Amino acid sequence: MILSAKHLSKTYIDSDQTIKVLIDASLDVERGDLICITGKSGCGKSTMLHIMGLLDAPDSGELHIGGKVVHSNSAEAPAIRNRDLGFVFQFHYLIEDLSALENVALPMLIAGKSEAQAKARAKQLLAVLGLAERINRYPNQLSGGEQQRVSLARALANEPKLVLADEPTGNLDPAHSNEVWEMIRSLNRDLNQAFVVVTHDVEAAQKANKSFELIDGKLLRIDA
Amino acid sequence: MERLEYFFLKRYLKAPKRNLFRFSFVFMVLGIMLSVGILSAGLHLFQGYESTLKRLLLDSFAHIGISSSTGSLLSEEQTALILALATEKDDVVSCVPMLNFQLMAQSGDKIRAAGLKAYPEDNYQSYAPYVIAGKPNIRESEVIVGHYLLQELGLALGDSINLNYPRLDQITPLGIPNAQFNYRIAGVYRSGYYENDRSIVISSIADARELMMNTGGYSKIEIHLQDPEQAALRSRDLVSVLGYDYVAIPWNYYAESLLRLVAMEKWLIFIVFSFLVLIAGINVISTVSTIIIDQKTEIAVLKTLGANTRSIRRMLIFRVGLVGILAVLAGQVFGALLSWLVEKQTFYQLKGDVYFIDTLGAQITLPNLAIIFLVASLLVFVCILIPLRQIERLQIIEIIRNKH
Repeated sequence: MILSAKHLSKTYIDSDQTIKVLIDASLDVERGDLICITGKSGCGKSTMLHIMGLLDAPDSGELHIGGKVVHSNSAEAPAIRNRDLGFVFQFHYLIEDLSALENVALPMLIAGKSEAQAKARAKQLLAVLGLAERINRYPNQLSGGEQQRVSLARALANEPKLVLADEPTGNLDPAHSNEVWEMIRSLNRDLNQAFVVVTHDVEAAQKANKSFELIDGKLLRIDA
Repeated sequence: MERLEYFFLKRYLKAPKRNLFRFSFVFMVLGIMLSVGILSAGLHLFQGYESTLKRLLLDSFAHIGISSSTGSLLSEEQTALILALATEKDDVVSCVPMLNFQLMAQSGDKIRAAGLKAYPEDNYQSYAPYVIAGKPNIRESEVIVGHYLLQELGLALGDSINLNYPRLDQITPLGIPNAQFNYRIAGVYRSGYYENDRSIVISSIADARELMMNTGGYSKIEIHLQDPEQAALRSRDLVSVLGYDYVAIPWNYYAESLLRLVAMEKWLIFIVFSFLVLIAGINVISTVSTIIIDQKTEIAVLKTLGANTRSIRRMLIFRVGLVGILAVLAGQVFGALLSWLVEKQTFYQLKGDVYFIDTLGAQITLPNLAIIFLVASLLVFVCILIPLRQIERLQIIEIIRNKH
């Protein structure tokens, strides 16, 4: 078991309104899983992912990573995010002042690897993702699909146990969207890389080996 | 330093134009440069004033003056004894007997009080550097007169001057005996120390004795040392050997309180001008706050990727700190240039009767440069640290969610 979310609940208070986005949501992620979570806009998919990525804290419930109970505010949270988790967001969130190569090298530099080692591995990853010719380009010199592939390479940099992707194709046209989905599927298949992908693309989600839908705060498995 | 911090620091240094010389830094750099420039110029000019005043005081007064404790003139025997004792030590540069007394200098209907100094023939080394016209080695019936005294009397080199010495200590039934002689002005004295330049008259010993209606003896022995700071100690040593029939007065007695006052004023000015750097620091706080707001997404991304707050804070410290230090250094260069310009300008001159000296000179010393650098850098550093607390309060999730 890579990650286990148990009975997560989360409520937002918006002026005089209380919105329960997560009610007793549980999810287990194992090695090689490709899990998709779908649901309507604003239903709490991203919140679920952020809690799993130690970026947000649940009101109640527990999160286990590597067998230990962890929390977004715990001292080891940054190290876990760096070592065990990879993130891909709808907006690529690449650092504009750094080249593609440097962006991918960042998580490794944070982990303490030397610049030479980090850049060598980043180069390798970008080549695997078909960006060997683009390594010295800055984010604004890349297409949307390429930016998202660089973002994916960055998520894989430290060989994380799990990659959390929040609407990774939400900002792309269908051609680039397919390109990214194919990349995710091939990484999952070939490298046994675990993914949890939040998406509103129901059709793409059906290709996952486990699919969930978040309805009224409840996480329901829909492929069983 | 962690790898990530080192990586960014290297980038800042490798591509300073892209990372450091940005528009957001312009006002911060200008503020630091101007304030450090003014602080530096102020300190250099005050340091120059202090050094010039000290040099002139040390040149104008003997480092040690030995005279009779009763106020009478020193006899030839006493003079010989003191000269023999004083020159025993290697640190004595010169040891010269001299006469000095107050008199009246007159030209037509203009009369001014003056102080006469008389040295034995060929003992002109102590005042020779300040004889700006004529000759220092005067003969009988010749005098050297202070520049401003000449101006006040309306005289010039080569003219004649009357010196009157009223003997107030020898009142007779016929009145006060008055010695009056006429001398040719053979030299003009100008040291820059106003009090001397407006009162000094230098003559030969023979002429002085004639004026004093005296046949022998000296007012005091003037000693100049290699290290003037040793004057007080050496004075005590000399009196302990010579006995209490003599007094040895070191230069500090006349001038130390003045020099301490000037030094205190210098540091007071430094403290006041340091507040300018602190005011410039407000720009630093504003710049760092703007950077944090502008780059909150990048900060959130770095935090998401596992960078800790301390690392991110250090990266910003390096970036703004590098610019700040460069601005401080540029300010120091600007300050040196400013003090050079003040020194070279001709439209404003110090009033000698107020400030003792009439030339405004700057002195740049390594300790002062180091102090300015350290104080300014420290103030800039503190101003960088203040807004960095915002980074801890940044909520990654809020930033990422709001981008959606």
